[in-house]
Amino acid sequence: MLQEFLKRFTGQKRSSDEAKKRLQFSLVYDKLEVNDTTLTDLQTDIVNVISKYFEIDKNALELKVKNDKDVSALVFNTPILHVKRKRA
Amino acid sequence: MEGKIIVVTSGKGGVGKTTATSSIGAALALEGKRVAIVDMDIGLRNLDVVMGLENRIVFNIVDVVQGRCKIDQAAIRDRRIENLFLIPASQSDNKDVLSPSGVERVAKELRKKFDYVIMDSPAGIERGFENSIAGANEAVVVCTPDVSAVRDADRVIGLLYARSLEPKLIVNRLEPTRVERGEMLSHEDVLDILSIELAGLVPMDEKVLISSNTGTPLVLQNDSTAGQAFRRIAKRLNGEDVPIEVPNQKTSVWSKLSKTFGLR
Repeated sequence: MLQEFLKRFTGQKRSSDEAKKRLQFSLVYDKLEVNDTTLTDLQTDIVNVISKYFEIDKNALELKVKNDKDVSALVFNTPILHVKRKRA
Repeated sequence: MEGKIIVVTSGKGGVGKTTATSSIGAALALEGKRVAIVDMDIGLRNLDVVMGLENRIVFNIVDVVQGRCKIDQAAIRDRRIENLFLIPASQSDNKDVLSPSGVERVAKELRKKFDYVIMDSPAGIERGFENSIAGANEAVVVCTPDVSAVRDADRVIGLLYARSLEPKLIVNRLEPTRVERGEMLSHEDVLDILSIELAGLVPMDEKVLISSNTGTPLVLQNDSTAGQAFRRIAKRLNGEDVPIEVPNQKTSVWSKLSKTFGLR
């Protein structure tokens, strides 16, 4: 217990606190893992919807799940070639 | 009335599944229930040695599922605890000889013969795990307070929920002094992360190894803190209202002082 006191006063961290934090983060990320078929299906759907309004370069587009420290984002990147004219 | 099938699982190996299974099974039998423990770790059987019944195996669970023998022929009766039976795993086959549908069929028969059937799942989340949960009505997840066991427990809990099983948690091998020193996750930490109902807390206990050395039931040893913890867990699983007991640390002057100073 004396050790515990010394640790406290010298500012040493409890490794169990670190374990808890690391676990909480890794469990969130584990659940965000998306498998390849889901991504491919999603990509096809998105392309179909966007193609109704824009002509896009289907070979240059990319779809990614980006995991940052605090947030996760779905990033869809595509060059637009033309805006389609709406027919009356 | 039909019995209950409880699967004991963990994802990670070596966290005390077999000890938990045999102890809970034995403790339920001591409560006066008729209990069968089934070793589902095909190819790597161990419950028989832990329970001290390895010399009495004739048939095994694979024989039962494949119709080579009747349940009563495969179930080995424990001579020390009344109404306790073990159905051992096969040592020569591998996990693929069983299928979830085959196990489910036998599980239905087992429910007619026993009040409780405890399925000891192998480590992992593959076929052996699938087979073990096939006929289960209830699930218990065992985990130790370390990052790998907790992470694997979380994964397994997700898989059990997907099968509409709401698992209860056993935190095994807690060392109060290390928790106090901040070297080990506390049971509160583990519960915060996994957020499921607690079945009980089991302290680290040297008696566990000793009782497996000799193949004697841990729950019969009154001086075993783990054995007593498993007896309380069995009572809870049996519907008794037994309060959760936190493995106690010997409160030293220093820990009292550090509490007073708000250092924890």
